[in-house]
Amino acid sequence: MAIGVIDYGLGNLTSVVGAFEKLEHQVRLVANSDAMRDCSRLVLPGVGAFGKGMANLAERGLIEPIRAFVKSGRPLLGICLGMQLLASRSFEFGEHAGLGLIPGDVRKLDAASHGLRIPHVGWNTVSLRGQGGLMAGVSDKSYFYHVHSYAMHPADPGVIRGTCVYGEEFVTVVCRDNVWGTQFHPEKSQLPGLKILGNFAELDD
Amino acid sequence: MLSKRLITVLTFNQGVLFRTKLFHPDYRYTLNFVDAWSVDEIVVLDITRGAQVDRKAFFDVVERFARRCFVPLAAGGGIRSLDDVKRFLDSGADKIVVNSGALERPALITEIAENYGSQCVILSIDAKKEMGGGYRVFKQAGAEPTEHDPVGWARQGVERGAGEILITAMDRDGWLQGYDIELCGQVADAVNVPVLALGGAGSWSHMTELFERTKASAACTQNIYHFTEASIRTAKKVLAENAVQVRI
Repeated sequence: MAIGVIDYGLGNLTSVVGAFEKLEHQVRLVANSDAMRDCSRLVLPGVGAFGKGMANLAERGLIEPIRAFVKSGRPLLGICLGMQLLASRSFEFGEHAGLGLIPGDVRKLDAASHGLRIPHVGWNTVSLRGQGGLMAGVSDKSYFYHVHSYAMHPADPGVIRGTCVYGEEFVTVVCRDNVWGTQFHPEKSQLPGLKILGNFAELDD
Repeated sequence: MLSKRLITVLTFNQGVLFRTKLFHPDYRYTLNFVDAWSVDEIVVLDITRGAQVDRKAFFDVVERFARRCFVPLAAGGGIRSLDDVKRFLDSGADKIVVNSGALERPALITEIAENYGSQCVILSIDAKKEMGGGYRVFKQAGAEPTEHDPVGWARQGVERGAGEILITAMDRDGWLQGYDIELCGQVADAVNVPVLALGGAGSWSHMTELFERTKASAACTQNIYHFTEASIRTAKKVLAENAVQVRI
């Protein structure tokens, strides 16, 4: 069964697909619930605003199928906006409901009080919490490429698997059962990023 | 901690890699860039000119890079509309670069930022030193002067939504004599977005000097001798030895 990369009109899919192909895993784009059903696992990518992301998913009838997929126990990885969409709600340009797969809010990075610019863009180090899973074999404090203005604040600190510092410390890797999220772009983070995507491809259901 | 970036800028004519020395095609090189693991970001620019320009060869290049080089990829060359932007992004670019198109119609910057986000827009500015001091912005690959100075135009660009500024010192391009510290410093001080400096990098000490003497976020190079994995890695070692934060 192939890895499904959800195409909902947002985000750069070429590198995500290219990464799995380089790692020699079957991958395909999925844009509807039928295509999703046959996938071994799903990736929810995304760049842009939260509200538009949820609207695009809703337009394409993908919200319930994603929830059902997660209920089936198969892995889901949210990347960048995709990770934020996993939350309960976001306060970007108003208040928007998310998928609610990892309870918590998405709020703007507090960079201004540290004299820093938004968005947080560039390579920054990630401090790991816990072992194994998506981050198996990745060294602590590896550099990953971030580009975002908002970050997730999970309700349960137990889901936090990686943090990063930009002014304040923020959450950059989360995991709740079979649902993973990375604020950074593994498909843009060269070797450590490829390691993560390879780990995701091989996670047990 | 957020690191400084080393960015490679590649220019293409009809899908073939060119090195530009003072903005003229210099000589051709075959392309083999997929093994550059130390580079932080890649910018690909299309300089193909002509009435019936077929950019397909360039979009193939963009897609090839997007598929095989797992770093942020910016692409530009003649962007004048959202349709152009869409085509570049569909080919796999993460960000687009606008230059003359923005000078001709500054509202273009805002259109792109509103549709795709500021992080998607790099405003590229080519500047030349003037006789009596100061700098002037040029358009059309450095051929035509404009009424802008780089600091003023950079500020306008950021106000309109540009997420990053790529500042090129035209006089330094290809001469391997170091970055234009005065120009890059002024622009980096004037705006609150990342400033990427291009033009003049010949040795690792030039990059160290850039980061020590200006607030530039990235050192860019078009010098093909810098394009090997070994040389980028060496550049970063030298920077790290000089207490510059880099991804190693």
